[in-house]
Amino acid sequence: MATKPNIRELLVESACEHNQTKKAACNAPIPGATTGGCAFEGAQIALFPFADAAHLVHGPMTCLGASWETRATPTSWPGVDLTQVGLTTDTSLNDVVFGGEEKLTAAIDQTIERYQPQALFVYATCVTALIGDDIDKACREAAARYGIPCVPVHAPGFVGSKNLGSRLGGEAVLNHLIGTLEPETTTPFDINLIGEYNVTGDMWQYAHLLEELGIRVLASLSGDGRITAIRSAHRAKLNVIVCAKSLVSITRKMQEKYGIPWISLSFYGKRDTSAGLLAIADALGDQELIERTQALVAREEAALEEKLAPYRQLFAGKKAVLNTGGNKTWSIAAALQDLGIAVVATAVRKATEDDRAKAREYLGEDGVLMMNPGAEQAKLIDEKGAHILLAGGRSLYTAIKKGIAFIDVNQEKKISYGAYAGLLNLAEDLKAALESPVFELAGRRAPWSS
Amino acid sequence: MEQLKTRTRHKPTKSLQVDPFKLSAPMGATLAFLGVHQCMPLMHGGQGCASFTKVFYTRHFAEPIALQTTAVTDVTAILDGGDYSISESVKNIGNKVTPELIGLYTTGLTETKGDDVSGIAARMDVPLVYVNTPDYEGGLEQGWAASCSAMIRQLTRAATCVDDNRLVLLPHVSLTPLEVEKIADLIAAFGFNVVTLPDLSNSLDGHLGEKQAALSSGGIRVEQIRDLATAGLVVSVGASMSACAVELQKKNPQMRHHHFPHLAGLVATDELNKILLDETGFHAPPFQVGRWRDRLRDALLDCHFALGKTRFAVTGEPDQLAALTAIISEAGGKVAVVIAATDSPALDDLKADRVMVGDLGDAEDQASDYDLIIGGTHVEALADRLGKGMLLRGFPNWEQLGNQLVYDCLYEGGAYFLCEVANIITRHQHHGKQR
Repeated sequence: MATKPNIRELLVESACEHNQTKKAACNAPIPGATTGGCAFEGAQIALFPFADAAHLVHGPMTCLGASWETRATPTSWPGVDLTQVGLTTDTSLNDVVFGGEEKLTAAIDQTIERYQPQALFVYATCVTALIGDDIDKACREAAARYGIPCVPVHAPGFVGSKNLGSRLGGEAVLNHLIGTLEPETTTPFDINLIGEYNVTGDMWQYAHLLEELGIRVLASLSGDGRITAIRSAHRAKLNVIVCAKSLVSITRKMQEKYGIPWISLSFYGKRDTSAGLLAIADALGDQELIERTQALVAREEAALEEKLAPYRQLFAGKKAVLNTGGNKTWSIAAALQDLGIAVVATAVRKATEDDRAKAREYLGEDGVLMMNPGAEQAKLIDEKGAHILLAGGRSLYTAIKKGIAFIDVNQEKKISYGAYAGLLNLAEDLKAALESPVFELAGRRAPWSS
Repeated sequence: MEQLKTRTRHKPTKSLQVDPFKLSAPMGATLAFLGVHQCMPLMHGGQGCASFTKVFYTRHFAEPIALQTTAVTDVTAILDGGDYSISESVKNIGNKVTPELIGLYTTGLTETKGDDVSGIAARMDVPLVYVNTPDYEGGLEQGWAASCSAMIRQLTRAATCVDDNRLVLLPHVSLTPLEVEKIADLIAAFGFNVVTLPDLSNSLDGHLGEKQAALSSGGIRVEQIRDLATAGLVVSVGASMSACAVELQKKNPQMRHHHFPHLAGLVATDELNKILLDETGFHAPPFQVGRWRDRLRDALLDCHFALGKTRFAVTGEPDQLAALTAIISEAGGKVAVVIAATDSPALDDLKADRVMVGDLGDAEDQASDYDLIIGGTHVEALADRLGKGMLLRGFPNWEQLGNQLVYDCLYEGGAYFLCEVANIITRHQHHGKQR
């Protein structure tokens, strides 16, 4: 299978900071003590937001049946939103015994004829990888038959974690799509957004600001993305990774292959959004653009401050404990601080070294980085006098016992907290939680309990 | 899964599933083990199988879900026959919690590589039940039922005499925690001591406990499972569960079995009451039961205007389809299309124009045949797109809260259900005119 990426090489991605220090960087999961998604889920996260492409999952029912229509990644694509269409071969015992290639070919034909997509992604899964179905061949033949790109995605769940799968999804795009089409026009300020999936419309919270600055999003991997755009992504002047370390290999390779520099940033909270916009302008290197961006940032920050004024009064003196993982350990902390809430502790058990360093930077010397949040958080709430706990559902009981407000930050969010406008959404949710009577009521003793 | 191999009537032959609502057997096994007190469901597969399942049910029930994975990787898939990943898992689970039971079940991945879980289970020195649930065979109902059968086979002690006051209830997977409780309550009102396997009524009913445990909280106790064969009666609900009752009778041939395809609507609930009266010698059920029967009869009359002019498409798990089709038909509704996730004997005698195993792609292709569609979250996009009325039932329902409190069965639930459907129809017609 010629197009199968080199997993070993992806696991020790040189642009990943943790790989400079540690040998076995990308964690083998521990049996009986593992949470978190598989490589297939990672590929799905990275590629499903292409709403103009069909996504066919070659595997048994758990892979797609439990996972389609779970992520809110809106699109402005006027056709059928194929992100939210579930397509699978639903591998049966017969396929396991006799091979599933014939079924796959028929499924590809039906998919393309039913939806006429701009491209087709075919995802291998554990079972179909194990029985050795040749999805490369099926894709090659279908591409010849229908004249659209058909991309095999080799990220069966058992090769590793969600992060690795996103990276494998990026590899598939790099090997099969990028550089296969020239853009109609180019501008000096063309950028690609990499790893922005437009979850709950996060990208739309700042896309209009880029447009106003004259910065054109040439292509997106893959939030509100288009296949024709990603095929011409090699003509961008800059790659911007948004809050997604997993796709750093694709930007490094695009730099090597096409000479496109890359920067990594986040649009979470006021400071990060401003810094992100300025970083893009800086990287594009045009003095006038930089000045325009500075002016826009000043204007947006002022407008935001005005809208935040009523919340600031309410939030003054409030303290929060944060118990989540990954980049949220610091990005949510930064957003809370932007709203005037002190973050007294954040959990870093499920964070990379890079994330821990950032968390320390945002929380300062007095902030507690919790390595064992389950045991530490209750004590810290008392010691620091915290008013709100932001954590996963399992921690709800801690908040109720302590009689403080609670927000489930690990739940699929329904509303965007991204960029300037998203900060107002976060403020509104925090206000609702802090003012809600339910946390006290839910902890109320029954009249018959002693 | 044995019962399905001989039937081919509704067997799907499609190469492509479009917008599927079929769910896998390991997902059914997960729920079954969550109905056992202090249990840790352990899915033997890639980490993603468990992760997807956990997120799926966490969102459906709005509750944390206890679930672990053996986290098979491409390397262990080739080099390990399952011994390493399973024994490591058991050890690592034991480092954190002390489950009363570990429910070990396979997936497509580990069945394809051919792990011998029964042999491995025999070598474990912790309370453990194993079951084979490849996700390329059967679906949610088969995984749930196979797990119940496995628990009975591997845990329940054989017995020779019975206690006539004790009754075992075997509910199908689509009955909600509240429905299971209501059925058990009704039976208990006739003086029976009811034990339910699996029992989601106090584990996934969305109650606020003292603390959030890492294991299932609530459910049938392992000791109760060991003791099941001393009950005089076993009542199974749903075609998927009759094999479990047979399994239980093998442990004690003295046990008598009553089977109900479903408990929705007037006729089926009458049937249950009749049998309970026969068994107990009572002359009438408790007063409130009769009162609710009167209310359901009234609801049938009140709602038949709306339902009688409506054509329905019902989608989901076979046993739930049997229930929905029955109660809709009782109120004069016309069930135009039944689309089931998997094949089942439950589909054989449904009062419907067309019965098939399929997906929402099929529902879309037959859109001109119905006015209102019933199914899980995934039907919402279809209903919006095609301007159909919609009622959300079954797995998954990620849009609405309170799924564990949905109550459609027996006299009482039937009355609520009919009123809800009639109101949806009226509102839909009203909005339709406004368009």
